[in-house]
Amino acid sequence: MISSSHSADRKVHEIARLNEEVREFRSAFIDGRSVLMKLKWESTIERELAEIEVMPSDEPPIKIKVKTQN
Amino acid sequence: MFILALLVVYKLVDIQFVDGNQYRELAEKRTIQNVDIPANRGNVYSADGSLLATSVPKYDVRIDVVTPSAKNFEKYVKPLSDSLAKFYGKPSGQYLQALRKARVNKNRYFLLARNLGYINYIKFRNFPLLEMGAFRGGLIVEQNTKRVHPMGAIAQRSIGYERFDENGNVTRAGIDGAFGEKYLRGTNGHRLKQKIGKGQWKPISDANEVEPQDGYDVYTTIDVNIQDIAHHALLEQLEKYRADHGCVVVMDVKTGEIKAISNLGRNSKGYYSERLNYAVGESHEPGSTFKLMALAVALEDKVIDTSTIVDTEKGVLSFYGNKVRDSKRGGYGKISVAKAFEVSSNTGIVKAIHNSYKDNPKKFVDGLYAMNLQDTLSLPLIGEGKPVIPDPRIKNGIWSGIALEWMAYGYNVKLTPLQALTFYNAIANNGEMVRPRFIKEVKEFGNTLESFDKEVINEQVCSKETVLKLQKLLKDVIEKKHGTGNRLYSKNFSMAGKTGTAQTEYWMADWNENKRYISSFTGYFPAENPKYSCIVVIHKPDRKVGYYGADVSGPVFKKIAQKIYTDTPIVDAVVNLDENHSTIMKSYDAYYAIARKYKTIMPDVNGYPAMDAITLLENMGMKVKVIGRGKVKSQSVTKGTKIKKNQTIVLKLS
Repeated sequence: MISSSHSADRKVHEIARLNEEVREFRSAFIDGRSVLMKLKWESTIERELAEIEVMPSDEPPIKIKVKTQN
Repeated sequence: MFILALLVVYKLVDIQFVDGNQYRELAEKRTIQNVDIPANRGNVYSADGSLLATSVPKYDVRIDVVTPSAKNFEKYVKPLSDSLAKFYGKPSGQYLQALRKARVNKNRYFLLARNLGYINYIKFRNFPLLEMGAFRGGLIVEQNTKRVHPMGAIAQRSIGYERFDENGNVTRAGIDGAFGEKYLRGTNGHRLKQKIGKGQWKPISDANEVEPQDGYDVYTTIDVNIQDIAHHALLEQLEKYRADHGCVVVMDVKTGEIKAISNLGRNSKGYYSERLNYAVGESHEPGSTFKLMALAVALEDKVIDTSTIVDTEKGVLSFYGNKVRDSKRGGYGKISVAKAFEVSSNTGIVKAIHNSYKDNPKKFVDGLYAMNLQDTLSLPLIGEGKPVIPDPRIKNGIWSGIALEWMAYGYNVKLTPLQALTFYNAIANNGEMVRPRFIKEVKEFGNTLESFDKEVINEQVCSKETVLKLQKLLKDVIEKKHGTGNRLYSKNFSMAGKTGTAQTEYWMADWNENKRYISSFTGYFPAENPKYSCIVVIHKPDRKVGYYGADVSGPVFKKIAQKIYTDTPIVDAVVNLDENHSTIMKSYDAYYAIARKYKTIMPDVNGYPAMDAITLLENMGMKVKVIGRGKVKSQSVTKGTKIKKNQTIVLKLS
């Protein structure tokens, strides 16, 4: 009885610790993702590349699609 | 002695049996609690799955300056100040002084940082002194769950929030606010818990236990890329023209999905940020962009045609002593209605409407009603502005002898930018008016619970014939040399739209000394088969820099149109020619033969293109230096020589 009660207590502490860890990981994930999203923005890329004089094109890319003929 | 013993026994009995229940209850209350288990609020996503709003833990870091020993404090207070200084980019001395002062004052709760994200929190934990933890270093960490917008300032106002104050009142802004109760919030659970050590509570099983139901995720229609372009293009123009505030909305023509919405206002320090949702909330006199609605009514009633000639009368018309003026002094002479629209002649349009409806202004108003211009859009977002249309039948003080004429060029009427855009979008969409939409889907654990389709407000706001005429007019505003939007013309891609330069606050006494305008541009692109419609409204640009709609707002529109154009690949389909080119095959075979044959002995690469030669030699483990460009003319090591790893070969090219 006493030992199982202690074991339950231990589990509660373990769960609390794991929950804390989950929250930290989640926070780290959101932080990381937020940084990544900002890096992905075209305006960020444009600013970064302006230094080496790479500008966005005025012309759209042309996609060449090969139609297979039978 | 006996009496004393009797008293003790009496008290025991009293506590045990008389007040017993009360004390037992008290004990239970202290150790057993019905604990709320908060539900996790759902996330708000963009159309492509980028996070727009989510709940994350944030950390407040404090220090108990009394806890560290004198030795440790002296040893680490300087490095700690340096770390703080480096983190905040401020001088270190300031922190050193503050920390020392806190130590003298025995401050056990000295604030170092508030609302840190996880990454920064970890940085703090590794600072000198703080890394020693709570008992030796005095570190105090408090964690709260906060709603954050990972995109930062971008579209913040439209993404919004739901905030509760201590009295339980709720402020709901944007999408997060509008869909909070219905989808995002979820329901809290609760269960009985018993107190155990270390501030933890152990669950006790109980029949009334309720599991929390997490909130659902809301997927919006916002396109992060278009939003990014729109936000930055608007910001650039606001800064350039030192304007008070502005907004831009991009809408998908067919479905009404809002792809981007940006609202920026200037604060007292001169910086722009998302302050109010102008696009949804601010009704204002649209000015010239309303000429489209006026002409739509007149063309639909067949009282004029685009070829009807109107006299702009030297650029000034007078109604009951009030004057309508053209921006071009002296007017445009006698011109067609189409040209009046393209050059945005106030007198021309006013004359056309005046001549057609002066005897029956009700008919004009009914025409506007028939195109749903008096209706709000019934958006889920809170705070939509109401349209204002004067009506001679309604005695509310708005109608006057000049109301009809003033309406014709966008005064006395009020619309929000989103309402104006919805009408332009209907013209782009061949007459079908669709409701602007902000959400696409509601999901739980990635499974769609509810999805939202396009909503039609009016299947056909005006006849196909009228729509075609209006589309032509909007296209010519940009394509014709005399069009007010011609400065925006690009030979690469097509656009259609109308400029607007409306006076605002002209009812104020100081207007003549300090003229204020609302510059706007509303339209769609491409001109044929439009994909997106867009409105740009900029309030009170600095007149010294410029104020015409085409100059102030037009460039934002063009930038978005151009970006979307350059981002959409042109597909060029070619038929697969399954034939081998003999010279290519020969050169490939030769290359392959050398690559197979030579592993440790120098091959002859004379006559090879530099690209092939370098690949060959580097694959063999050599280092290649090239001089010049073109094909290989000579090699520094002759053919057949045994080579060593990392040996440098010099190739001369011609």
